Amino acid sequence: MLALAIDFARRFARNRAALVGFVLVIAVIGIALSAPWLFPRNPLRIVGRPEIWPFTTSRYLLGTDSLGRDIAAMIAYGARTTLLIGLCASLTATIIGISVGATAAYFGGWVDEILMRLTELFQTIPNLIFVLTIVSILGQKIEYVTIAVGIVTWTPIARLTRAEFMSLRDREFVQACRSMGMGNLRIMFGEILPNALPPVIVLSSLVIAGAVLFESAVSFLGLGDPNVSSWGGLIGDGRTLIRTSWYICAVPGMAIMLTVLALNLVGDGLNDALNPKLRDR
Amino acid sequence: MAADPGLNRPPVLAIDKLQVSLFTRRGVLPAVDGLSLDVAPGETVAIVGESGCGKSLAALAVMRLLPEPPARIVGGGVRFMGRDLAALSEREMQRVRGKDISMIFQDPMTSLDPVLTVGDQLIEAIRQHTEASWREAANRAVELLRQVRIPDAERRLDDYPHQMSGGMSQRVMIAMAIACGPQLLIADEPTTALDVTVQAQILELLKELQTRSGMGLIIITHDLGVVAETADRVVVMYAGRKVEEARVGALFDRPLHPYTRGLLGATPSAIRRRGGRLAEIAGSVPALSDLPAGCAFQNRCPDVFDRCRAERPALATLLPQQSAACFAAEKELSRNVAAIGA
Amino acid sequence: MRRIVIRRLAQIIPLIFAVIVLNFVLIHLAPGSLFDVMTAEQQVTDPAMLDQLRHTYGVDQPTWVQLAKYIWSVMRFDLGFSYRQNAPVLDVILQQLPATLILMLSATAVALLVGVTAGVLASVKVNSIWDNLISLGAVFFFAAPSFWLGIMMTVLFAVKFGWFPVGGMRTIGADHGAFADALDVMHHLVLPATALGLFYAATYARVMRASMLEVFRLDFVRTARAKGLSFGRVLLAHVMRNALLPIITLLGLQLGTMLGGSVVIEAVFSWPGIGSLLFDSVMSRNFPMVLGVLVLGSVLVAVCNATVDLLYMRLDPRIRAR
Repeated sequence: MLALAIDFARRFARNRAALVGFVLVIAVIGIALSAPWLFPRNPLRIVGRPEIWPFTTSRYLLGTDSLGRDIAAMIAYGARTTLLIGLCASLTATIIGISVGATAAYFGGWVDEILMRLTELFQTIPNLIFVLTIVSILGQKIEYVTIAVGIVTWTPIARLTRAEFMSLRDREFVQACRSMGMGNLRIMFGEILPNALPPVIVLSSLVIAGAVLFESAVSFLGLGDPNVSSWGGLIGDGRTLIRTSWYICAVPGMAIMLTVLALNLVGDGLNDALNPKLRDR
Repeated sequence: MAADPGLNRPPVLAIDKLQVSLFTRRGVLPAVDGLSLDVAPGETVAIVGESGCGKSLAALAVMRLLPEPPARIVGGGVRFMGRDLAALSEREMQRVRGKDISMIFQDPMTSLDPVLTVGDQLIEAIRQHTEASWREAANRAVELLRQVRIPDAERRLDDYPHQMSGGMSQRVMIAMAIACGPQLLIADEPTTALDVTVQAQILELLKELQTRSGMGLIIITHDLGVVAETADRVVVMYAGRKVEEARVGALFDRPLHPYTRGLLGATPSAIRRRGGRLAEIAGSVPALSDLPAGCAFQNRCPDVFDRCRAERPALATLLPQQSAACFAAEKELSRNVAAIGA
Repeated sequence: MRRIVIRRLAQIIPLIFAVIVLNFVLIHLAPGSLFDVMTAEQQVTDPAMLDQLRHTYGVDQPTWVQLAKYIWSVMRFDLGFSYRQNAPVLDVILQQLPATLILMLSATAVALLVGVTAGVLASVKVNSIWDNLISLGAVFFFAAPSFWLGIMMTVLFAVKFGWFPVGGMRTIGADHGAFADALDVMHHLVLPATALGLFYAATYARVMRASMLEVFRLDFVRTARAKGLSFGRVLLAHVMRNALLPIITLLGLQLGTMLGGSVVIEAVFSWPGIGSLLFDSVMSRNFPMVLGVLVLGSVLVAVCNATVDLLYMRLDPRIRAR
């Protein structure tokens, strides 16, 4: 097991872009975790003059926004929001997706048919519109945003899980387990799932990236939780000042872009590391 | 066998010490190492060898269709009707391909574009090298399909490749190849991917088309049965080198090179004669990156001796119109000559 | 072939049905009752009207009757009434729909033109500086949020250079003939369509590149070259036709996402489509409109998916046979 992990790490490390992505992700996590130490006070507090440009004073490295809040602090705390929502939403999506996909593939027949229709339904409904609908109905709290984002991003995971399960379902080791009297749930989650996991893991890094983009769109529109600072929200707040202080929009946007970029690179790296035969082109 | 066609006329194709190398991560591999070969008009030359011996690469090199990384011509020349093909620009070469020299490939099912009709692809071949209008080309296409004995030719124009069987697809490929009356047709394993029952038909068709047009024909194969059916002359390749060349009758009656003997020993008819046991040549082809000094066949050769490991045998004409690159064969023959002389 | 078309279109019906049911569920999650949602009861004062509405929506009856009545009203194209615009929901949506369609079509055109060209270029000059630049660009535009791109583009091209307007679909107050009007709209369309389309261009570029490289290796490409075709002809007549097939599949899958993306872009550029409408309705708690947009959006996506599926079948003869 350890040898496998080391081999995997080595293959991953060979892809330089993936390494850069990995470092970036660690950096973002680092900033998110250390935000309370770097900026001990509430980032939404007004601390200085409004509309100070970045890199002009040493106190506010990234400048201040329209109300005079420290952008650097809001970016740091925004990292927490982003990562939290990203992770929780994709966890939700992964749980739903794996359950649906595994059940559909394992039981087949009309169960498969119904679940696939359900998947198709959620694929047809325009994602962001659905998220906005849910948020407008349930309310603008961070939990509802997370759930809403999770609900619209599970479909690719379900499809992938189903495909993987279907190729594994009829293999001999499954039949052996069944003849040993193992229950269905045990076989599904104990035996098949660990083997089906690698491509799903690759997909989940992309799902996290997607969740980050969704959340930023929701908070940009002003429908996120007003009590937390979020990168999308920052961009939304800065919209009215693009003629004079466009950095208020530029900085958080760069943060989102770098994070999503990093996640994509890591996803590509994971993909290459797990499918070595496709790499040597 | 009938009198040799065109033995005294200038060759359609003259390959001279052709060298093709593969530039890979593991180094530079000599995939074709000094191959020389002539094809006379109306003659069928078979190139035989196991997969990986370089025969397909040699053919692609003639057409200048080598996969550019990693393969490249690094030495020697190819002359077609006296013209040096290596000196031609890509545009000039495009005028040669499909018109003067044509090539058909191993798997006809994947060698045709799946999203275009058979007719479209045939017409494209015709209009590429002639001034024909679409209508004229379509008529010619129907004619060609009839020539390759495809029934209901007019209807077939609108078929897609996946609607055809392997045998029919290969006939279409042949039709495309002869569309502009080439002087040389190269067939790379034309029957390998086909049913046994269809193989003979395709080979017969090729021979018939050759007789009618007088074009040269190169058949690349690993199947000695195909060689026996179609070839006038045979070239045997091993690990990128030519190891024997002879008229087909002579090759089967009196193979000089131990590798050729081994191949013949492994043919089904030979097995029947021997009473059922399949004689395999022990060992396997050495990797191009691992070629031994001296003769490439040394590790599998029943007649190997010291000189084989030290020196690389050159191709020598050991009998009238039969040459081989083998020290053992040389030794054997000179002993016979000495015996006769004495 | 006609049978296949009908069959594919018929598959949409259960989907729409499910969307309507889902809508119903969502309505019940909303504060207030179904009745409130469909009638904005607070604003209706005429008691006779109220009674009639109560009857239509079966307020006092069991849930499944309400569901049936709701489905029935949707089938009759009654999506409720919006007091904010003082008009039936469906009418308002249909009025704003063309603007969104224009935006989406233009964005798709941008995405295909830029993406496919970039992908082909990258594959033809594989591993060269161009290939690396294009891949870098693709990665950048894939990761950047489209609304942020829109804002940055506005800052650069509208504010700093003044080449394009900052927002809106038409120049206010100008009274042009039809042709000049079309040009005006196109002028306003450039920034939003590009901002929306670049994300998809990035995806198409990556997929096209991979697809082209795949197809290059296939046997029939060698046959085409052996026929003496020039490289350009091989590329256009054979390679691209085959390599484009996965892009078409992708197109279908992206439509739902693009409709969502247009919501944000319309907000950024004040583009008067259903995205702006949705945004406005969410802010003003105008539930009938929100849910109406959801239903109609889903119908749109379902129809587009079916169309793309049929298009794919038309283009790939191997599928047609089945």
